[in-house]
Amino acid sequence: MSYVHFPVIAVMTLFMGAFLTVVLGKHSRAVRSFLAIAASGIAFVLIAMLVKPVLIDGEIISYWMGNWNPVNGYAIGIGYEVDQLGMFFALLVVSTILLSAVYSLRYIERDSSQEFYYVLFLMLSGSVLGLVLTGDVFNMFIMIEIMTFTAVGLTAFRNTGFGSVEAAFKYLVIGSIGSSFTLFGIAILYGQCHTLNMAQLSAMLSGNHSPATLMAFALMFTGLAVKSYIVPFHTPAADAYTTAPSSISMVFSGMVNKAGVYGIIRLVYIIFRTMDIPAVQTLMVIFGAVTMFIGVTMALAQHDFKRLLAFHSISQIGYVITAVGLCTSLGLTGGLFHAMNHTLFKGLLFLCAGAVLRATGTTNLDQLGGLSKKMPATTVCFLIGAFSISGLPPFNGFASKWLVYQAAYDKAVTTGNFLYVFVTIVALIVSVMTLASFIKVTQAAFFGQLPERLKDVEEVPFLMQLPMWIMSALCVLSGVFYNFVDKYLLVPAVSAALGVSRYIDSMMGSGYAAEKCVTDIQASGVHFSYWNPMVWLALFVIVLCAACLCILTSKGSRGEILEGDGEDGKYATFFSGEKALPSHVGGSDLFWGFKTDWKGYFNIMEGLHSGVVNDYALYVVAAAAIVVVFTFMFMR
Amino acid sequence: MDITGALYILFKILIFPGLLFAVVIGLFLAGLDRKLLARMQKRVGPPLRQPLFDFLKLLGKETIVPHAANKTVYLAAPVVGFTALIVLALFIPVFGYSTFSGNGDLIVILYLLTIPAVALIVGGSSSGSPYAGIGISREMVTMMSYELPLVVVLLTVARKVGGSALCFSLGDIVSWQAENGCLAFHPAMIPALLAMLLVIPAEVGTQPFDVAEAETEICEGPLIEYSGAPLAVFKLNTAVKMFIMTALFANLFFGGIETGYVALDAVIMVAICALVTFFSMTLIHAVTARLKIEHLFKFYWTVVAGLAALSLILVWVGL
Amino acid sequence: MLKNAIAKSMSRSPWIYHVNTGSCNGCDIELVAVLTPRYDAERFGFKLSGTPRHADIVVISGPVTTQSKDRLVRTLAQVPEPKVVVTLGSCPQSGNVFKGSYSVEAPVEKFVHVDVAIAGCTPKPEAVIAGLYKAAEILQKKREAMTK
Repeated sequence: MSYVHFPVIAVMTLFMGAFLTVVLGKHSRAVRSFLAIAASGIAFVLIAMLVKPVLIDGEIISYWMGNWNPVNGYAIGIGYEVDQLGMFFALLVVSTILLSAVYSLRYIERDSSQEFYYVLFLMLSGSVLGLVLTGDVFNMFIMIEIMTFTAVGLTAFRNTGFGSVEAAFKYLVIGSIGSSFTLFGIAILYGQCHTLNMAQLSAMLSGNHSPATLMAFALMFTGLAVKSYIVPFHTPAADAYTTAPSSISMVFSGMVNKAGVYGIIRLVYIIFRTMDIPAVQTLMVIFGAVTMFIGVTMALAQHDFKRLLAFHSISQIGYVITAVGLCTSLGLTGGLFHAMNHTLFKGLLFLCAGAVLRATGTTNLDQLGGLSKKMPATTVCFLIGAFSISGLPPFNGFASKWLVYQAAYDKAVTTGNFLYVFVTIVALIVSVMTLASFIKVTQAAFFGQLPERLKDVEEVPFLMQLPMWIMSALCVLSGVFYNFVDKYLLVPAVSAALGVSRYIDSMMGSGYAAEKCVTDIQASGVHFSYWNPMVWLALFVIVLCAACLCILTSKGSRGEILEGDGEDGKYATFFSGEKALPSHVGGSDLFWGFKTDWKGYFNIMEGLHSGVVNDYALYVVAAAAIVVVFTFMFMR
Repeated sequence: MDITGALYILFKILIFPGLLFAVVIGLFLAGLDRKLLARMQKRVGPPLRQPLFDFLKLLGKETIVPHAANKTVYLAAPVVGFTALIVLALFIPVFGYSTFSGNGDLIVILYLLTIPAVALIVGGSSSGSPYAGIGISREMVTMMSYELPLVVVLLTVARKVGGSALCFSLGDIVSWQAENGCLAFHPAMIPALLAMLLVIPAEVGTQPFDVAEAETEICEGPLIEYSGAPLAVFKLNTAVKMFIMTALFANLFFGGIETGYVALDAVIMVAICALVTFFSMTLIHAVTARLKIEHLFKFYWTVVAGLAALSLILVWVGL
Repeated sequence: MLKNAIAKSMSRSPWIYHVNTGSCNGCDIELVAVLTPRYDAERFGFKLSGTPRHADIVVISGPVTTQSKDRLVRTLAQVPEPKVVVTLGSCPQSGNVFKGSYSVEAPVEKFVHVDVAIAGCTPKPEAVIAGLYKAAEILQKKREAMTK
């Protein structure tokens, strides 16, 4: 069987898995688990087998469903087109699905109606995979719809808990508005171009914008922005990520909002090919900068582990949008790398939150504390994730953020535009604030003193630890060996995003792009290197020396290291002479000075995040109006 | 790579300008700071070698791991911070002479600088003391405070040196200054220089910006439970950080004073470091009292960041 | 060699932790006076530390009230070895004018081993410095004894 069928089969496997779970999995947990693992495993293998032809050999797979080839240069059937960009996101999607499925096996074992969980989970997976592989805008819309509704269902899955139905309702309303915008945009496009194929649309629209297509652009951009939860469309995300089961929160932040990001990249780089217009860059960079700033400051104010992570998801997507919006190959590299890293470390962090929730029954940071002694594995994984997201070297977050800063400042100095300087500063400061809020979680949940209530907490089972360890390892590896990631994943994806004519030609037949006068987007070259191998040698030597020093001085001359029981006064915590009391500096006690100075800002933000869905819908519509006005003012 | 080359690299890493040099100069600067402070207060003051005595003494004391602490993290944190600082020392050139040419990237330095602070925070947090909890909270706010002006200063230097090309390399910054004169003598850079002088004490954590380790209010904050060797390493980290920050300052604003003789360069470098230590740490310490954390934050985000931003704007309009 | 260097450093960098066990504040003021420009104990490396974990010399002042006894013992236990205990003023040694009170536990030797006692009500700063210097020397000896 030729590998051109693999993308379609992978998507179908997931949908078939969902169907079979309904039919067979109602009564048996083993069957359900088997089906979920089998479907996601097969999808993973199929996509992994495409790595060689697509990413390494640089082939673009085009596939016409039912062999409905274009007639007279018009695409009439549904086409799947797997280029390197789609492949990059497909890899993220299938890895997330597989890891989440493994984690779910034990994680949801105490929940009722599990068969619905797996059905929705597999449909969600299938739809996101379909979204990133398809070459047809209407097919993309259908996938977005399936994605939205299954996501709503999964958000409300634990409906015994507080707020999950409310969250699902908000998600439903905002998500539907976003989908409607997308559909409206697609309808206009179809009316104008008489085709729904992305490649053909790209060929027709390139440099050839009428007011109608500009309107379509604005609407589709807004619709996809809603799906990627950038500010001000982020409001349902915070609730949904918090109340959904952690395995699903991981899927949401790992691939559902990546689907939105993918959509935006596809839209601005390929379908409309508008990325070299400065106005579009400004639009995206402003959206991105606002998103990362508001996301992170809101995260600093949160007291709930998962809600905090949710706001960080929003903030990190801001980085991606900013970087992608710079329209330099450096920026695109950084943006895609950060998208990938976000999938890894945020997924990891959500899984840690899930582990904490399962072990202690709460994610409220004010009620946790001292878990590092009871859950060492989770703590290590969490620290790796936290350091990655805060961008400490040598973890992967550093490598990608570093590219983003460099790209932003490069843009600033080459264009002389002060906006980009401002964006660079915001990006750098946001990174410190990210660190701050993860320090808060570290202190509040994992270190400090163990509350009496949590004395009998146990580490989570191995099957739940496994995905966490895999993701931790990937976080470290992709940071250390970023050269390989760059070479095999990012460079092909970036050149695919910039190489519009190749995308068109492989779908519509060679020469089609040239006929329609489509040129590739010009972007400045990639130049970066942040460490060389010598630094690693140096690091190694220093660590070795430190270790030697410790061993040499341990006998005799150095003081002994003593450990003991808390009952013995010597090992008790110092309380100014008092007997040690259970006293823990929890989440809401931290960063007092910062919060005081920012009181005004936080009050405004609190007012804006009112929790009323009417307000949120209003934000979406208002932002859409702004985008439309902006498009008509600056893009003509 | 042949054997002499490898030995040479090893020499650079371990002795000059790496481990030994950074530690010795760091301890020297810390001692100088204490001595000068004492002289300014009309005291005799401790001997110059005092930080070394402190370090050795702490090595000889017992290390008590409190019951509430997570032992691994508690003991590993200081070593991680120390390693990061030494790697940092390799990135900062002694004017023209550096371990890895062309690799001293400003953003990498900025991020490596956060690691010792994070190590202190995580170590303090892992000790389980509520005082440490307050301390790490303040340390983190301090970090957020000085990061903004520091970032703006670095971007200003990058713009000034690079013009319309991206230039984050410290090596390029130094060689640019060798041609065009020290940045400290460019009028547009004066506010940035002042901002940087104010960033250094907060980064190192000396009075009046030592809110995180306020020993009279919160019993040394994150360090409260530490004793013996880990504490010694933390104290050493502070000393090395003094060297790193002042050396970074020297390279950013007084770079390019190259004589051609590495030893002489090193002496000039240390002299500049000592001067910067005096002006940014000792002088301010001697004449001010400790701030409150919210005042510290406000001060850095308004006054210091304002100075830095002024410089950035001046440089941006082409001065 | 390192062992010797460490032992020598012990007497040159003694950090003080001060425990007030119900003192009238007179001795406490004198202890602080020792660090002022006029007397400047820092020239010997003395430094006040904020936590017993960092301390080498624990200075006890006051007649040890019943309330403070447990706290004193607990704090002393938290000081890492080698450590030296110094009593400041007459109160911890004898109870001084508080002797015989129902709420006073002096002399402190009953439950704490005392290495140096500085007498006086209050002792002069010169006496405090002399006592602390002696304590620093004892610290070095203790360290040498520990590593033998």
